[in-house]
Amino acid sequence: MNRVRIAAIAVLATLALGALLAPVWARDSYQIQFREAPDAPPSWKFPLGTDALGRDRLTRLGYGARVSFLLAPAAALLTCLEAAVLGGLAGFAGRRVRSVVLFAADLFLTLPWLFLLIAVRACLPLNTSPEISVAITFLLLGALGWAAPARIICAAVGKLNRSDFILQARAAGCSPSRLLLRHLIPNVMPVLLAQFWIAVPVYILAEATLGMLGLGVSEPLPSLGSILRDLEGVDVIAQPWQLAPAIVLAVFAGAFQLVRPREDYSL
Amino acid sequence: MHLLGKYGARVVALVLVAGLASAALARLAPGAAADERELDPRLSAETVAAMRANEEASHNLGRFLLHYARGLAHFQLGFSQSQNAPVRELIAERGVTTIRELGIALAAALAIGAAFAIPAARFRAARVYDASCAILAGVFLSVPAALLAYVCLVLGGSATLVLALVLTPRVFLFSRNLLAQAYGATHVQMAMARGVDEFRILLFYVLAPAAGAMLAMAAATATIGVGASIPIEAICDTAGLGRLAWQAAMARDLPLLVNLTMIVALATTLAMALAEFFAPREAIA
Repeated sequence: MNRVRIAAIAVLATLALGALLAPVWARDSYQIQFREAPDAPPSWKFPLGTDALGRDRLTRLGYGARVSFLLAPAAALLTCLEAAVLGGLAGFAGRRVRSVVLFAADLFLTLPWLFLLIAVRACLPLNTSPEISVAITFLLLGALGWAAPARIICAAVGKLNRSDFILQARAAGCSPSRLLLRHLIPNVMPVLLAQFWIAVPVYILAEATLGMLGLGVSEPLPSLGSILRDLEGVDVIAQPWQLAPAIVLAVFAGAFQLVRPREDYSL
Repeated sequence: MHLLGKYGARVVALVLVAGLASAALARLAPGAAADERELDPRLSAETVAAMRANEEASHNLGRFLLHYARGLAHFQLGFSQSQNAPVRELIAERGVTTIRELGIALAAALAIGAAFAIPAARFRAARVYDASCAILAGVFLSVPAALLAYVCLVLGGSATLVLALVLTPRVFLFSRNLLAQAYGATHVQMAMARGVDEFRILLFYVLAPAAGAMLAMAAATATIGVGASIPIEAICDTAGLGRLAWQAAMARDLPLLVNLTMIVALATTLAMALAEFFAPREAIA
């Protein structure tokens, strides 16, 4: 493992720990308003200042990061499960099942991911409780992202299905369930893992985009997207501390990109 | 010919199913049949009831699709209630903006991305340059398009600039990998050893064989641009198809949403078909 990956893992671990322990280090709840100090600049009491409603920005950033960092991997896990089931089915079952699954995957891939996400999210209830809006946002991310990983899994399973060791296992009388559990799933796991690592930063960025368009997690619960929405109409040059959530988001997504295994393109 | 027909039929089926799915989604959305004009206290109960009946009728999925198919035969795409204008006019008007914006951004991304990628691929020993470019590309890839749009808006940038910033790192990373592979090929090494001119090597030994893959990448990047144009146009307040799609989704405007879904699906499918056509055969295999 090279030094860059180790550094990226360290950064990820620090950020994740900071976000997960937000209830421990934050002095107040994310929704407490300090009405005497709305839009306050950074100070000892409020290191990142307060928002227009007088809420501590640092506390909200901690809780918001917690929501995004916990639920994006959960959504990625859901995507991987869907991709494993559908892609595995398409690769393992007959031609008809494969055609149906691949047509459905093509249908999802026909529409750009963001277009699909925005259209579907806008058609779901928007005036819900914060908890339900969180669940809807991340379930949607997990549910709609299956198509590309499923195609990859389908190709991987199809390739494995034609390999010599599977042929030998079949010839030796291996049952389909044993074939699946002992031979196919363990061999597809690295592909699935790679899809998981790819999906997590994509989902964090997608949630941020949805939040900035007002289609993400609803107030008062913070998420990185809803916090970034506060940037609207803000002069970031005069108030650079307002960019802190954007920096946290970029560092987290960037660290994830560095952590995932890379293809060596040099010959 | 048979294969082309089969592919065409698949494209048509995908576009139609995408349109149908978006219609069903918008129809089934909670509150889809509600009209905010009903909240006007000046309207009588009879008027509200009539409006509600009208709304219900226009949101009947079967009736809508029948009416839509009939209109399509006469090149009529329906009427947008939220924009208070015919859908055909809206799409024609906004489409020009988005196509121009996307075209300029894609051309800029290809030019800038390739210009940065060529030295990185050629001089593999220049690790500082390669790492600096990769870090810069990584930073732009780690920032959501909507945030870039906010920052650019504050700094006085346009939607085209934001779109170019979104697409350039993708083009850079892909072309760097592609060109590094091309530069590493034996015949290129041989040409270098023979003392062939650098520019000639780049043009005929590296870029020419990689042209198919580069065009495929351009087509695939265009589809990313279509998706990214939605938040960018919505935030930069540009009157393009992206903003129209966002407004249609927010207003649950059935005719507009169905038409935009079908147009976006068609554009993406055609771009992906182009990407497949230009991609090297061994890559597809």
